[in-house]
Amino acid sequence: MKKLLLKEKWPELWALLAHEGPLYLPVEEGSVVLYQLWQEGVKVNLEAVNSTVSPKDIFLPREETYLRYSCQGEMLDLEDVESDEPIIAFALHPCDLKAIEMIDRVFLNQDPPDALYKKRRENTTVVALACRQPDPYCFCGVFGIDPTDAPGADVMAYLTEKGLLLEEQTAKGKILLEKAAPLLEVEADETNITVDVKTQDFGLQVEGLPEDLQERFNDPVWDDLFRSCLGCGICTYVCPTCYCFDVEDYGHEEGGERFRCWDSCMFGHFTQMAGGHNPRPSRKERVRQRFMHKLCYYPETYGEIACVGCGRCLRSCPVNLDIVQAIKALGGEKVG
Amino acid sequence: MGKANPLMPQTVTVLDITTETPDVKTLRVAGKEGIPFDFMPGQCAMLSVPPVGEAIFSITSSPHCRDCLEFSIKRVGDVSGVLHELVSGRQLGIRGPYGNGFPVDEMKGKDLLFIGGGIGLAPLRSLIGYCFANREEYGHIDIVYGARSPADLVRKSEIGETWPEQPDSTVYLTVDAEFPDWSGHVGFVPSYVSELAFTPENRIAVTCGPPIMIKFVLQALEKLNFAPEHVITTLEMRMKCGVGKCGRCNLGSVYVCKDGPVFSLAQLNELPSEY
Repeated sequence: MKKLLLKEKWPELWALLAHEGPLYLPVEEGSVVLYQLWQEGVKVNLEAVNSTVSPKDIFLPREETYLRYSCQGEMLDLEDVESDEPIIAFALHPCDLKAIEMIDRVFLNQDPPDALYKKRRENTTVVALACRQPDPYCFCGVFGIDPTDAPGADVMAYLTEKGLLLEEQTAKGKILLEKAAPLLEVEADETNITVDVKTQDFGLQVEGLPEDLQERFNDPVWDDLFRSCLGCGICTYVCPTCYCFDVEDYGHEEGGERFRCWDSCMFGHFTQMAGGHNPRPSRKERVRQRFMHKLCYYPETYGEIACVGCGRCLRSCPVNLDIVQAIKALGGEKVG
Repeated sequence: MGKANPLMPQTVTVLDITTETPDVKTLRVAGKEGIPFDFMPGQCAMLSVPPVGEAIFSITSSPHCRDCLEFSIKRVGDVSGVLHELVSGRQLGIRGPYGNGFPVDEMKGKDLLFIGGGIGLAPLRSLIGYCFANREEYGHIDIVYGARSPADLVRKSEIGETWPEQPDSTVYLTVDAEFPDWSGHVGFVPSYVSELAFTPENRIAVTCGPPIMIKFVLQALEKLNFAPEHVITTLEMRMKCGVGKCGRCNLGSVYVCKDGPVFSLAQLNELPSEY
């Protein structure tokens, strides 16, 4: 049964949940909306579709220290850094949750699992928010995603005129709603839930594209497609299904830490080897790698294109070399 | 979390460091109880010296050596540079083993042809050691090994004495050009392989070396009618995680760190040629 949280009680809920552990929700700052830690006074924006950068950093932080080292003379001491807090991820949209499912396949289901990611996934209660009004750049329908339903969430939420309707989907979700119970209206008579949200399709038709691309690594289309790319990497930064990372040390000889951070296949040094050889020496190989990974390599292993139609690369790419343009250039368009 | 975090290294101690060539040194490292983990020939490990960082190296020693791991390392970058400067007794970080290793079971009963160039002998040496330790499982063993100059040949006592003395095995050495102190064969490794005219019947060829050498060795073996399934090589790519996640060594639907680094030529023919 759905329970109503009246608008005027939202801040009380944020405060209550933030007391339990880190609470991430969409926070508006100037022209950007990012999933950030709630604190008194932040401007929470539940209407925003979509956040400027995907909420993947709740599970795969931009930087994450995982070991501290100290070195005295010949002795090296390595100590792992643990983080074990219960996290609440609030108001994640169905496309972004689908993207998390895609990263799960690589980080949880492939042996060995990524321990840092796994811990965060296990410790997080996810409240999904159904989309009421999609953005002009949204095209999740192309990939069969229902913008009003998020099967992987612990709690499903719906925006209404009066507030937020909440419905538990898992045991974790039940616990969360029990904590919030004093703030919820018992009788939720709201039926004003939009269930028929239409997104763009930009004339795309992606069926059969992954199989088609398997033979097109040397296709002449790659000789031109990359030309406008600036190599800025913003596409990978905002993308909810990009997960490449770097590992670096920070410190001095006596002590410091090792961390991992987001990296991008759009950068030249990404594959640059110590001896000077680079298997992806120019933007051509790097642009091809990014789109082939999303549209061909990932589907070859997992059966689905690694794009959820969130529209972030359409909004962010300074030269409009986004995934819609790439799919079109590769022939993934409706005929007629 | 501890051991469960695959990115978390353990510490090992440098037993000694041997200078092989002007730019190659061999490190022997061990944990408190000998080798820090079991492995198979062809597998790799991440070595790290904070704050310089981590890099991946092939394990040079044979799995039969239980008291230490050996790494023959060419000085090319930051991590290899700092590894060259380490001294006996110093501790460093290690994690692994990574990768699939050579198909030692499929190779059983076959004659073996090992073709190495320069530092490319490092992963082959682990395999050669394994095959000699299980000598009765394998047929005749030929080793073709070359380098730019006599000074650049690594593991001189093994290639010059230990291996040629093994039963039913032959070692062919070559250097790229004439040198005053060299009376052996002169010429590039691929042309030496063609010259020696190995027959493909019941034989598996395993090659490792600089990319340009591998390219021409593969062509030479093709001309000698080796089937792509019977030609094996090992790839080298930049890696950060070693467990198929960070994205650097992605090649089509495989990750070289996890699904490789060992591939048959038949497998490589199915993958994008981006290595």
